[in-house]
Parts: sequence; C-alpha cells; structure tokens
Amino acid sequence: MKNLWKVILLVGVVTILALFALGLENDPRNIPSPLVGRPASPFSVSALDDGPPVTLESYRGRWLLVNFWGSWCISCRSEHRYLMKLARMTADRRDFAMIGVDFKDTREGGKEFLASLGDPGYRQAFDPDQKIAIDWGVYGAPETYLVDPAGIIRHKQVGPLYEGWFEKVALPIMEKKP
Amino acid sequence: MWIELAHFATIIALLLALLQIATPIIGVGIQRPVWIRVARQSSYVVTLLLTLASAGLVVSFLNHDFSVKYVAEHASRSLPTFYLVTALWGGHEGSLLFWAWLLSLFTTIAVWRHWSTHASSIPWILSVLGTVISGFLILVLFLSSPFERLTNPPFDGRDLNPLLQDPGMVFHPPFLYIGYVGFAIPFAFAIAALINGRITDEWILATRRWTLFSWAMLTTGIIFGAYWAYYELGWGGYWAWDPVENASFMPWLIATAFFHSVMVQERRRMFKIWNLFLIITTFALSLLGTFLVRSGVLSSVHAFASDPGRGVYILIFMAIILLFSFGLLVLRADRLRTEVQLESLFSLEAAFLFNNLFFIIAGLTVLLGTLYPLAVETLSSAKVTVGAPYYNKVFVPIMLGVLILMGLGPLLTWRGINESRLRSSLVKPLGVSVMGMAGCYLLGIVQPYAIIMVGLSFFALTAHLTDLGRGIARRMANAKEGILTATVTLLTRNKRRYGGFVVHFGILMMAAGFVGSGLFQEEKNLIMAPGDFTTIHHWRLTFEKIATVKGSNWEAQEAIIRVEGPQGLTMTLHPQKRDYQNQQMPTTEAAIFSGFFEDLYVVLGDAVTDNTWAFRIYRNPLVSWIWGGSGVMALGVFLSLLQGRRREVSRQ
Repeated sequence: MKNLWKVILLVGVVTILALFALGLENDPRNIPSPLVGRPASPFSVSALDDGPPVTLESYRGRWLLVNFWGSWCISCRSEHRYLMKLARMTADRRDFAMIGVDFKDTREGGKEFLASLGDPGYRQAFDPDQKIAIDWGVYGAPETYLVDPAGIIRHKQVGPLYEGWFEKVALPIMEKKP
Repeated sequence: MWIELAHFATIIALLLALLQIATPIIGVGIQRPVWIRVARQSSYVVTLLLTLASAGLVVSFLNHDFSVKYVAEHASRSLPTFYLVTALWGGHEGSLLFWAWLLSLFTTIAVWRHWSTHASSIPWILSVLGTVISGFLILVLFLSSPFERLTNPPFDGRDLNPLLQDPGMVFHPPFLYIGYVGFAIPFAFAIAALINGRITDEWILATRRWTLFSWAMLTTGIIFGAYWAYYELGWGGYWAWDPVENASFMPWLIATAFFHSVMVQERRRMFKIWNLFLIITTFALSLLGTFLVRSGVLSSVHAFASDPGRGVYILIFMAIILLFSFGLLVLRADRLRTEVQLESLFSLEAAFLFNNLFFIIAGLTVLLGTLYPLAVETLSSAKVTVGAPYYNKVFVPIMLGVLILMGLGPLLTWRGINESRLRSSLVKPLGVSVMGMAGCYLLGIVQPYAIIMVGLSFFALTAHLTDLGRGIARRMANAKEGILTATVTLLTRNKRRYGGFVVHFGILMMAAGFVGSGLFQEEKNLIMAPGDFTTIHHWRLTFEKIATVKGSNWEAQEAIIRVEGPQGLTMTLHPQKRDYQNQQMPTTEAAIFSGFFEDLYVVLGDAVTDNTWAFRIYRNPLVSWIWGGSGVMALGVFLSLLQGRRREVSRQ
C-alpha cells in the first residue's frame, strides 16, 4: 500500500507515452471527407496551355489522380518532383491517368511554374475562380483526389504527396475490388 | 551566407552541448573540478553560438533571402520590418531554434549565479540542461531545419500567416516559451537534488525566483494568446479549450500548485516528495505541450506544421526525460519521508494541501479532455472532439473550490488556528459576501453560478483587505506612522506575502471578467444593407456604408458603423475583411469598443448580395477586467520577486 503511488505514477506515465506512440500512427490530415465514396463533380474547363478543354468525363473507365495546385503554393514546389516521377512511372499503365488543376492562379503564373520546375506531361486544367476546387471541397493546396473508373472519389490526400505514396496509399485502393 | 553561418554555429553548439552533458559526470566521477569548468565554459559558448544562429536567421529575413525555405514560407517583400524580425518564431522550425536559444541563455544565467552557492548541484544541473538543449538542437538540425535552402527560390515569399501579423501574436509565443523554458531550471535543480540524494530544502530556496518568474511569463503568454484570439480571430471569445491552448494551460495549473506547496516545505518541512513530483510534472507537461503542438498527434485549429517523423523523435526524447526523472523520484522517495504530520485541519498546511488537490484535479481534467479524442481515435479510429461544455462542467466547480481556499488563506495560520478565533474572523468576510450576493440578486442577476462567484469573490476580497488593514493599523500604532507610510512599509517589509495578495486581487478581477463575459455575453447575427440599423442591449448601431482601405500588404473592405450608446456616447466602428496579397485566406478584423464595464464587438461577414452584408455583433461584459487583472497579477509577482532569500543558504 505504501508504495502504491509509485506504481500508479509509473503506470500512468507509461500509459500516456504508449498512447502517444500509438497515436502517432493516426494521420491528422486524414480528415474524413464527406465526398469520398460519392461521384466526383464533373467539369469541363479550359486548359492551362490553351489546348482543348480538360473534361473529367473523358477519363471515365480509368483510375484518375487529380492534383490541385497553384504557383503560389510552396508545398506544391516540393511535391512537384514526386508528381514528375509518378507520371513517368505510370506512363505505361492504361488503367491510370493523372491531371492537374491549377486553381486561384494566373495563367502566366501557372505556366511559369511548369516552365521552371518541369512539365510532368499530363493535362492541366485551369481554374482561376476556384469553381472546380469549391465543388470538390478543396480547402488548401496541394490536395489530391483518387477517382475510380466509375467516377467515384475513392481517396482524398491533404498536403503534398510523398515518395512511395502511390504504392502505399493508391495501389491498395485500386487493387481492392470495388 | 548568413544562413550557412547560422547552420554551422548550431552544429558546433550541439557538439558543445553534448560535451556539457558528459564532462560534469566524468568530473564528478574522477573528482576533477576542471572537467566541470569545461562544461561551464561550453554552456557559455553554446549561448553565444545560438545567439549567432538566431541572429543569422533574422538577418536572412531582413535581407529577404527567399532561397531559405523558412524565410520563403514565413515572409514576403511587403512584410513590415517588425514582423520580419519576429517571423523568427513565426513557424515551427524557427520557434524550436528560439526555444533552444532561450534555454541556453537561462542555463548560462543559472550556472553563473549558482556556481559557487550550489557547487554540488551544478554538475548535474549542467548535465540535465545540456541534455534538454541537445534534444532540441538535434530536432532543429536533423528533423526540422530552418536553415534549408530551396533549389528553386521563388521571387517573393509566401508571407507570414496574416493572423500572426498582430502585436498580440508577436508577444504570445516568446512569453510562453520563456515560461516553458524557465521551468527547466527548477527542474534541473530538483533532479540534481535527487541525484545527490541529500535532499535539503535548498533547491526550493534557490529556485523560488526562477519558478515565480517562469510562472509569471507563462501566465502573461497565455493571456497574450487569449487577447490575440479575442482581437484577431473575430469569434467574440478568447478561450476555446483547444488542445494547443490546453497544452499551455496544464503546466500553468501544476506550476501554480507547485509554488503554493513550496511554501509548506519551506516553513514546515513537509511535502518534499510532492514538490519534486510537481516540478517534474510541470516540466514534463511543458515538453508534452511541445509534443502535442509539434508532432501532429492531435488535430487542432492551430494546425501547425506537423510531421510523424518529428513526432517519433520528440516522443522518444520525452520518454527518456520522463522515465528518467519520474523513475529517479520513485527510487529516491524512501529517503525523503518526513515525520511531520498535519496537526490541524484549520491550518495553512491543510489549506495548501487542498489547494494542491484542486489544481491537480484541474490539471487531470484538462489532460483527460485533451487526450480522450486521441485515445478514441487510436483505439477505434472514430473522430471525437471534447469541447467547452465538458470543461465548463468539470472545471468551473473546481475553480470555485480554489476561490474558497483563496478566501480562507489570510484567515489561517501555520500549524492551525483555534476554532473560536477562526469563527470570529469569518464573520466579516461572510457578512460582506452575503450582502454582495443579495445586492446581485436585487440588481436582477439570477444565474446561480454568477451569484456564487460574486459571493466567493467578495469573501476573498474582504478576507485579504481585512488582513491588510489589520497589518497597517498595527504598524500605525506601533511605529507611529501615518497611514501611507505604514502601507508602504508593510508592503515592502514582506514583499512576498503581499505580492501574493496583489496576485490574488488580480485573480479576482479576472474571475469577474470570466463570469461577466462567460455568462452574460449577448450575440446577434444579422444581414444589413447600408442605412439599416440594429440594437443590442443599450447600443444602437447604424450601418452607413462599405469602403475600401489599403495597408502595406493587404487590401480590405471596411464597414462604417455609427454607434450610439448610453449617456449620449457616439462613435464610429470600422470592422474589416482583409485580403493579404500572398495568402489565400481572407481575415476578419473585428472592430471593438472596449469600455470599463463592457465591450462592443462587431465583425463584418461576407457580402450576401450586392448591397447587403452579414454582421455578427457581440456585447461582452467585463472583458477588459481580464486584461486588467492580468496586469495586476504581473505587478504582484514583480513585488514578490523583489524579495531576496529568507535565509542565507549554507555553502556546500
């Protein structure tokens, strides 16, 4: 009895530390988006490079990664290298495509971003008034969505993609039978 | 160039800090004091180097060196110079460097001041503080470096988060950090005492001022944060029980318990283990706060940069310090048993014991509320939040208990007071308290909590004033002094006791502010077109027009609102919605009229149609008493700090 407090104290400290250790696995960015599991809001807007309009519908039948970015966003710079790599890596997959949405930006700003950091090669939609971004529930940049062949949003990633993200997060979702 | 210099200085500082851990241990082991002196010199050089490092980062800001990632993310060309300097602690990486710098500075001061008076503790103090500094420097250098360069520097930076471009926010973090870091010194003394095993009360006497100072800084830091939330965030309140706020509040609660119970050890040689436990816990909670804020383990509206890699590191660091210090306490506890027992329930000792219980329970309440969402998410992956209703339910009654004790304090004496004397000294405060409650009721206040709070506050106020009055009367009679001289000499003779009284007066003022704004806030949400008017309580507000105004790095829409108040008071308020150039998020600048008894708080919302605007209007009674009360508190601490040590500490 006399030493009960010692046990309680140490057990308490260890419990809290253990809770934190387990809690680190939780991803604070993993805020459940109400849009996951629902059809992505369709769009057809002009492209950043003045080419033909970028239309969501035309990607139906393939998995689609939609990356929201802007030249004003510093984290997008750090993410860009991985996007370039991912585009190269998945160039041969017929079941997977990528597009970017440059939002709340000027056309010159977006083009200059790609010119200086490199163009990953996929299509870029231009969304200066954040029409797509608002429909898709984007509240920061970068944010990335994974849309399934039927046009349903399957995953939302808040914050920059990182080395190994595709294998760790996207592939398991894509390989799971819908 | 500057940033490389800063980086290099930090690397050397880490090496020296590691030296500062090892050499005192060796020095004590082989009985060669020269090794300990090496540690002292390294601690001085660490301070110099970290000063240089922080200066290097500041210079990079002033030079607009956007090739430095940290500068690019937290400044822009149009950012005013003042905020360029304070952007040093505007983000995660810089604030960690700042933390380490402060700790090195405090270490230097502590070592310099206590070198000869506490010779047997100094080696351990150097080691312990060296460990904490190294822990932070490793974090700064390897996991969140503010010295990183960008390969593709942008032409202009992203700018400091506009919410942080506010004087309240400029001072909030440094005060908080000074408080957190300051507790490292008493913590190190306590650990040194535990390691030495000869536990006298000396560590408590030596660190009294450090504790008080850190407590005052932490208090001020928290208040600055509340002030900032009130004036900048525009939601009409100042405290939201957010995990990050709780992180600063928990060490505050335990530190408050600590410096009350320290007095018992000084006077009565009791609570020795307890005090060691309290100071270790205070410091542990400071670290925990850093962990919660910086690891991203909890989602919070404060949403700082978070990263699991850092989290793992901080957790390991924290685990080492916590397990070591609590383990040491448990191992040494048996040597510390005291024979002194509580003699009476009506004694100051007993009052302090209950005070401690209340503060510990309060601390546990906040800890539980903060950790519960984490536990639920970890064990069941559901998201829950614990909000104000939980805290208000549990916390308010505890604070009422604390208020009762605060009122009883001046009536009690050490070792106990006989019951008839206690009964007679209760008469006056109780009488005033009952009159206060009755007055309240007659004025139309019927909320039970408000009436109880008024009663308790009047009780405590009368108890303190009676004690003060008796002291003054005694001096006037004995020393034949006038009332003014008597008051001044009384206050300066026992600065510590009356400093405490002044702090208590500050607390009472703040309590009034909390009750007023917490229970009697009035709120109005409405849409107005120019020319419309509305009323709230005795204020009449007329929306005249919308104008556009510009600042150096922002543009705002501003509503011009004419206000007519009681007694013919008229004024114009200018609530704004600001767009900062390099940021996406617009910010609201509430327009606030702060009066002695109430604040009028107007927030401009979005345009609803071309010609109508949403507004939120609050009437917040007694908010300025919170800020005023914190000023009175600071004054009390200052008075208390002026008093030197009661006894000469025997040289070791």
